[in-house]
Order: sequence, then C-alpha cells, then structure tokens
Amino acid sequence: MAAGAAGFAAFGPRGARSRADGRIVLDYWEKWTGHEGAAMQAVVDEFNQSQSRILVRYLVTAGIDQKSMIAIAGGDPPDVLGLYNYNIPLFAETGALLPLDEAAGSAMLPPLEAYARAIRPMLSHPDRSGRLRRWACPNTGGTLALYYNKSLFAQVGLDPARPPATLEQLGDFAARLDATTQGGRYSRLGFTPTEPGWWPWAWGAYFGASLTDQPCRRALIDSPEHVAAFRWIRETAERLGPERVNAFGSGWGNSYDSINNAFLAGQVAMVLQGPWLASVINTHNPGLDYGVVPFPVPASIADGQPIGLVESDMLCVPRGARHPDASMEFIAFTQQPLIVEKLSTAHFKNSVLAQVSPEFVAKHPNRGVEVFNAVANSPRGFRAASTRQFPQIRSKMGSLFPKVWNTDEPVEDLLRSTNTEVQSLLDLEYEQKARRGWKGGA
Amino acid sequence: MKLSARAKVDLAGYLWVSPWIAGFLLFMLLPAALSAYYSLTDYPVLEAPIFVGFDNYTRMWREPDFRDAALRTLLYAAAVVPLSTILALVLAALLCGGRRLTGFLRAAIFLPTLVPMVAAGMVWMWLLNGGYGLINQSLALIGVEGPNWLGDGPMVLVSLIIIALWGVGHSVVIYEAAMREVPPSLYEAAALDGMGPVARFWHVTLPMISPAILFNVVTLMIGSLQLFGMPAVLSKSNEGADPRAFTFFTNEMFSQAFLNGQMGYASAMAWVQLLFVLALTGLTFAVSGRLVHYRGG
Amino acid sequence: MQREGSHISARWTPTILLLAAAGLFLVPLIWMLATSLVSAKTAASGSLGPPGTFLQELPLHARANYEAVWNDPAVTFPIYLRNTLVVAMLGVIGMTLSSAVVAYGFARIDFRGRSWLFGLMLATMMVPFPVIMGPLYLIFRELGWIGTLRPLWVPAWFGGAFSIFLLRQFFMGIPRELDEAARIDGCGHWRIFWRVIIPLSTPALLVVALFHFMFVWNDFLGPLIFLTHRDDFTLALGLQLYHSKAGGTPWNLLMAASTLVVLPVLILFLIAQRNFIRGVSGDGLKE
Repeated sequence: MAAGAAGFAAFGPRGARSRADGRIVLDYWEKWTGHEGAAMQAVVDEFNQSQSRILVRYLVTAGIDQKSMIAIAGGDPPDVLGLYNYNIPLFAETGALLPLDEAAGSAMLPPLEAYARAIRPMLSHPDRSGRLRRWACPNTGGTLALYYNKSLFAQVGLDPARPPATLEQLGDFAARLDATTQGGRYSRLGFTPTEPGWWPWAWGAYFGASLTDQPCRRALIDSPEHVAAFRWIRETAERLGPERVNAFGSGWGNSYDSINNAFLAGQVAMVLQGPWLASVINTHNPGLDYGVVPFPVPASIADGQPIGLVESDMLCVPRGARHPDASMEFIAFTQQPLIVEKLSTAHFKNSVLAQVSPEFVAKHPNRGVEVFNAVANSPRGFRAASTRQFPQIRSKMGSLFPKVWNTDEPVEDLLRSTNTEVQSLLDLEYEQKARRGWKGGA
Repeated sequence: MKLSARAKVDLAGYLWVSPWIAGFLLFMLLPAALSAYYSLTDYPVLEAPIFVGFDNYTRMWREPDFRDAALRTLLYAAAVVPLSTILALVLAALLCGGRRLTGFLRAAIFLPTLVPMVAAGMVWMWLLNGGYGLINQSLALIGVEGPNWLGDGPMVLVSLIIIALWGVGHSVVIYEAAMREVPPSLYEAAALDGMGPVARFWHVTLPMISPAILFNVVTLMIGSLQLFGMPAVLSKSNEGADPRAFTFFTNEMFSQAFLNGQMGYASAMAWVQLLFVLALTGLTFAVSGRLVHYRGG
Repeated sequence: MQREGSHISARWTPTILLLAAAGLFLVPLIWMLATSLVSAKTAASGSLGPPGTFLQELPLHARANYEAVWNDPAVTFPIYLRNTLVVAMLGVIGMTLSSAVVAYGFARIDFRGRSWLFGLMLATMMVPFPVIMGPLYLIFRELGWIGTLRPLWVPAWFGGAFSIFLLRQFFMGIPRELDEAARIDGCGHWRIFWRVIIPLSTPALLVVALFHFMFVWNDFLGPLIFLTHRDDFTLALGLQLYHSKAGGTPWNLLMAASTLVVLPVLILFLIAQRNFIRGVSGDGLKE
C-alpha cells in the first residue's frame, strides 16, 4: 500500500501552474462557488476568448481576506483579487494593493462618476500623504431592502400592494402577521431583526446614524440616532420575547440556501435582505409571491430617498502581482456595462453602475431590482466605515446586538461601552499611523 | 588535533544529535527570538516594524476581546482536561478488562481521532444545528427540546467540549497500553488483601500508570490552550451569532496577526500564551510530585 | 489484566458499556457515511428525510456522489490527495529517520551535557505553535518557500521532540549486550545503529511513522498559513472549499469527500493496530 501511495505521490495529477502556449497566466482569486461562481467563470471565459495574450484562471478561495493577506505578505500573491469593500481600507493602507489610478492601464477604467452613488466612495481611499487614490473596481454589489410575502399579507387582511412605508407601520403589520401555535410557541413572525441578523452593525442606518465621523476619528456608536435604533431593537425584543424568538429560529442559522429558509418557508413574513435572496427563492420556492420595498424608516427622518446598507465586491491588484498591466486589462474588461449587467443579472443582484439599460431592469429575474438599484444610487446609502478597524468594529457590534436583544441592560450603557471600545480602536489606529508619519488625519 | 577519549565521545554524541540541534536553532530558537522582538514592535507585516517597548503587553489586558478569548480558553481547558482524562481512564479500564471484540471497540473509539478537523467540524456543525440537526431531532423524538448548540457563548463552549471528548481515543489507547504493563502479581496481592475491583483500580492501576497520566494530562493541557481549528470551522455555521463565542486565544491571535495587521501585538499574545503554559505545566508537575509513582529504572 | 468477578453481569458489563460508548463515538461517522450516499436535498434536511428515503436514494446517488467528488473541477480532490501524500511521505521518512538518529545519540552515547540537552528538547514540547507561527512564516518567506509544500515537510527532517522521546525510551530498553557484541565485531556507532537498533525497533518506528502520518493528514493550521496556490492545497485545507458562505453547501458531496479522507488512515490504523499498541507500550512510559 505504501508503494502505491508513493507512486501516486510521485506521478499523480498536479495542478497546472502555468501554460505553455505563450500566454500570460493570471491567477484570479474570488470568493464565489456554485452558480455565482459559474457566472463569474463565464465572464472569465469570455475574456479569455476575446484575446490571445492573457489567460485568466478563476480560483475559488475560502476565507479570502485572510488567505490573500497571508499570500501578499508572504510574497506570493494572486494577480487579481476579489475582496469585500470593507477590506479595502486595511489592504490599501498597509500597502497590500497597487493603486489603479496611475498604472498604465488606468485609462481603460471607467471614471468614478460611472458608478452608483453609494458605491463610488468605496473605490478610493487616502494614502499616507492624504491623497485620495483609487484602489478597486466593483464587480457586483448588493443593497438591503425589505422583502415581504404577499400571500401572507393577503391572508391576514393586509393589502399586498401597500407594504409598510414607515417604521411604525412595519411594527403594526408585523404584529398582525405574528402567529402562535396552541402551545403558545411561535409558528410565524411578521418581522424579527434576528433573521437573518447578518448586519448587526447596520441598524443605525435606518435612524440616520453613522458608525464614525467622516475621517473615521471619532466613534459615534452611542449617538442619539444609534440609541434610537437600538431602543427600537429592544422594544421589538420585549414585544416578541427573545427566548421564544430564538427558540423558533434555532434552525435558521444553516438553512439560508435551502427550502428551510425562514422567509421561503413562511416562518417570517418580512425580512431585511439583499438581492441574493431572490436567487434562493428562485431555486427552492419559485412560486413564492414576494415584493420588495425600501426598508421603512421612522416618519421623522424619511425624506423620500431610499435608505439601505450598500455593499460591494471589489476587484483589485495585489502588490507583487507579476503582470499588473494584464491584471488591469482584465479588470477593465469586467467593468464594461454589458458585462456588469450580465454578471449582476446572473447573481440576481442590482447593478454597480449609475446608469442601467432598460433591458437590465426588464429582463432581471429579481422582482425588486429597481428598489435595490435605487438604494445603491441613493445619497442616503449606508456603508461600512472606511477604516481598517472596521472588521473589529463589526465584530464588537456583533457582540453588542445579542446583549440588546436578550438582556435588559440599559441600551445607552451598552452602546456607551461599545463606543468606548471602538473609540480605543480608532485611537490605536491614529497612534500607529502617526508613528509612521501619516498625514491627513486618520 | 589529538582528541581525548572523552572529547571523542562528546563529538560523536553531538554529531548524532545535530539534526535536532540544527532544527531547534532554525525552526524554534530563531523564530522564538524574532517573535520576542516583534512582540515589542508595531509590525503590520507589509511594512517595517517599529519599536514600541512593552505597549503591546499593557494593551492586551485592556482589550475586552483579549480577556474574553483568554477566559474562554481557560474555561475550555479546565473542563476538557479532567473530563477527558476521567473518560479515557474509564474506557481504557473497560478495554483492558474486556474479553470480546476488544480490537473492534478500541478501533471504534480511536477512529474519531483520525478524522480531519475540517470534516469533523462540518459533521458536528450539522449534527448540532439547533433546528435540523440530528441531535435535536433525536431529542425531539423523546419529547426533549434540545438547546441551540451553536447559538451563544456558553453553548458553543459545551459543544466544543463534547467534540473534544469525542476525540478521547488517543488517550484511551495510551492508557490501555500502560494498564496492560502493570504486573498481574500486584493485582493478585491486592485481591488477597481483600480489595474489590474499584479499590484495585484506585490503589494499584492508577499509581502504576501515573507517569502516563501525567504525560497525557500535560499534553492535553497544552493542546487545549492552543485550540484553533474547530472553533474556526464552526464559526461559519451561524453568520448572525456573536463572533466572540468562537474566538479562542489562538483564533484571536491569528486574526490580529493576519487580518488586522497587528503581528507585533499577536506575538506578544503568543508569549503570554507560553507563560500560561509554563505556569500551568509547572503547577501540574509540582502537584504531581507526591502523586506520581515512578517505577525504578 | 484485571481480574473480574465471576458474576455473569460482571463479565459482560464492560463489553456492554464499551459497545454503548463505541456506538456513540461512531454515530457522527455513520451519519457522515450515510449522508455521503444520498442526494443533496436529503442531505440538507439534517435527519436524512422520512424513513425509507435513504434506501431509495442509495443506489442512485452513492456512486454518483463519490465520482462527483473525484472529478470535481473546482475542488480537485485527486490533486489535493497527491499533495497530502507528498507531504506525508516526505515527512514520515524524514521524521522517522532523523528522530531515530537523534534518539540513538541520546540513548546510546553518554556525552557531556546530554541530560541538559534532552531536558531542553522536552521543554520545547511545551512551546505553543502560535509563538513561532508568525516568525516561522516570515523565515519561510525569506527563503521563498511560501506558496510551496516545503514548509510542511522540511522541518520533519530535523526530528521531532515527541518522536525522539518515544524512540529514545524504546532504544533504552534494548539490551546493551547486543551493542557490545557488535562492537567486538568491529562495528562503530553507525553500524550498530543500522544492524542492531533499527531492526529491533520496528514497533516504535511504526508508531512514530503513523503518528506523523496522521498529523500531516489532518494538519490544518500549517497548510492554511504556508500554502497560497490552490493547486498546492492538502486535503485538510481543500475540504473547506466545499463550504460556501451562508448555506448552499453540497453536504452530501462534502461528506463523501470527508469519508474518502478518513478511509486511508482508518485502514492504516486497523492494519497497524497491534504493532501500534506494542510500540506505544513498549516505549515504556516509565520514567
């Protein structure tokens, strides 16, 4: 058996690191598997077929932000990297990326104005002299909005054509949609912030809050707006009973992309989610009659503009990439409007560009694509704080939320102590940058 | 150069041991020295390190994330070491005394230790799912409402302890081998003295295998304090859960080093981990002084 | 062997308890195997659907799942298998050889500073890997080895404290008279090592080899840090690729892959069990 293993080891299959047909080979690390990965692979294939100098290899990578940092620091990076928008500040600041605005290929890239309003600021970040540089191009993006189940609305006597328009209405409608079994357990919830609960840090968005001030120097977690936001979470918890909700939802954690998804299964009637949910609906329960509307905000802060969280996947070029010009050429290819729309359609997502063609909207499989687009272009789009500390801020808010939801500790106190922690993170960042001679604030 | 006989022996000895010495210098001493140096710097890995003295060490204790991860890890070790040892001793004793199917039973208990971390993590992640996992569904069959195993900090800790106990096979095999080494004459003498099976176990078996127990306990303790892979894999199970529930000491170190650009701070954490290990190991050895019985030779 | 009481229950109790324990230990693995034999939908349902589904789906999906794993273009199982085998083989040979050599030095040559050095070696077993993890990574970076398999097997050629300890204990149990006899025949250390010690040490060497093989097979942290190219991944790391963010994981395929990963080591253990036990006990965990 040992001999067989040795034979396999010596002569077994090995990966193709480079090809012999004279093309430059680019390794493109991206996070998508399944049909999302297939859609990106199709774009890669189209690029490979459109010219004969460059061959791009699409490589799925788990834990991509971690692995790519390790690879870049280790001197063996990929040629094109697909990160999340909130990775950009750290990667740019520590010199892990090549700026896209001075390289030879930069003329090929669309100007910043071509991109959706809320996505534009994500593409640039100041360098150590305080100058704003461009670091990334978006390939797909997502915004959050409220999905609601029209059949369930009709069932309880709500008008399916009139979803909640204010936060107050959301609470009323949700209460009417709640249902319990004979034993007092929940069998349906109108709305709970814990499903999916993926953005515990973003609840301030709907109350006009910001995570930090503009140069990310001061933490604003305990601002009055945030207090209002988390008070609302606490009130919702008190109304619904957190243990009962948690018990009801204990299986949801692993069931997002399955028939057991809470929204698909009718266990929640309304859910705050991104455009990707439509893909899950399409796969597991295409008959579901759903609608999408911007998340309703308190009447006092509504101004007609949709409010929602905006996220984006980013393409960038790591420092140490062997063929940066070729990498830029590939990235520029992906930024063409037709390609962007094709990929976004396949991912069921909104477009990252400011302008969309009428066909995009007309043929899009996601019923709510216009809403998602509107949020992306809204001046009130809410983004991750553009500081390298954001992942830790996000983590701390992730610890804050269960305390607000499950306990009765005063909301202001919880926010204040989280704010102190976040502030010390920002202070540390400032201190470390000052030590290295950074200019232009945080 | 004429070497004395003594020197020739020394030379031979060091020659034979040289591979380890070389490896020690290159892969242990050098990294450890570098690590000690980095722990005194601010080092984002992609830029040069800057000396900051003991700032990293003082910063650690102020950080709630560090205190949380440290406490969580200590609790884990404090639970796993005794529970695992007791379970392993009981299973080993049963294997030692049993007659039928010993080979099969031993293999069954040892098998879990052969499963790669990621695979085991995925299997348990699904078994432990609050709503659809096999465990809770089985409990539901007998009318018990199972908890949300991976829902919050305390339950995650319990789940990880269960998974650790599932991997007890390694210790079982070692204890069983040690138990079989115990001379039967000692048992006969004890039986003649009127000792029952339990008393024999307590007064004969345990003392005779105490060196193996000590070795195992220390190894287990060191391993528990370094827990990394399983929580990392399980943390993917629930996007909405409190991330701290899955953050143990080494996880925190890892994200600081590679995700937050704080290699210097992470190095300081590593040295604190080493201090913990040394302190606890020293404590264990000190306590064991009277308990461990070394056979002559 | 402990003597049992003569009651029937006393004779059977250990076996019954052990059967119960073994059953519990095996449940996750049986579940893993069962899930690998059904369709993706059933696998995702957590309890393998209504009874009867399993038997229905088995003939259809069992073979298909394993073929899918082997031939998956994205998660290239055979390549990962090869990489893991390379690291394992090179590591096992290196570790066994070098540890035996060093152990011989500690066991058979009474050089000055020996006990001190041996104590130092034992002490290194207490150093947590995270302490050296970062700088080790940087050292390998300077050598240009990040992104290759070398960081995973080269250090094994310098011996490992645990293996050296195990082998030294075992060697010390081999009677010196055999060494003397060989010396009278004119053998130096090297020949004594190969002609006397090694042949008598098969159980212990097997234990060392097996332990290191298992370590490499399951090692996750090392590959995570040192391997950058997906084509270099080992099985432990490659398994991760099946798990996509927020669900949509093909559980049946993941379990099939996991089963494939467990199988070789299991077979190895079953074959080597007896020798393994002898090796572990023969090393004399006596001090």
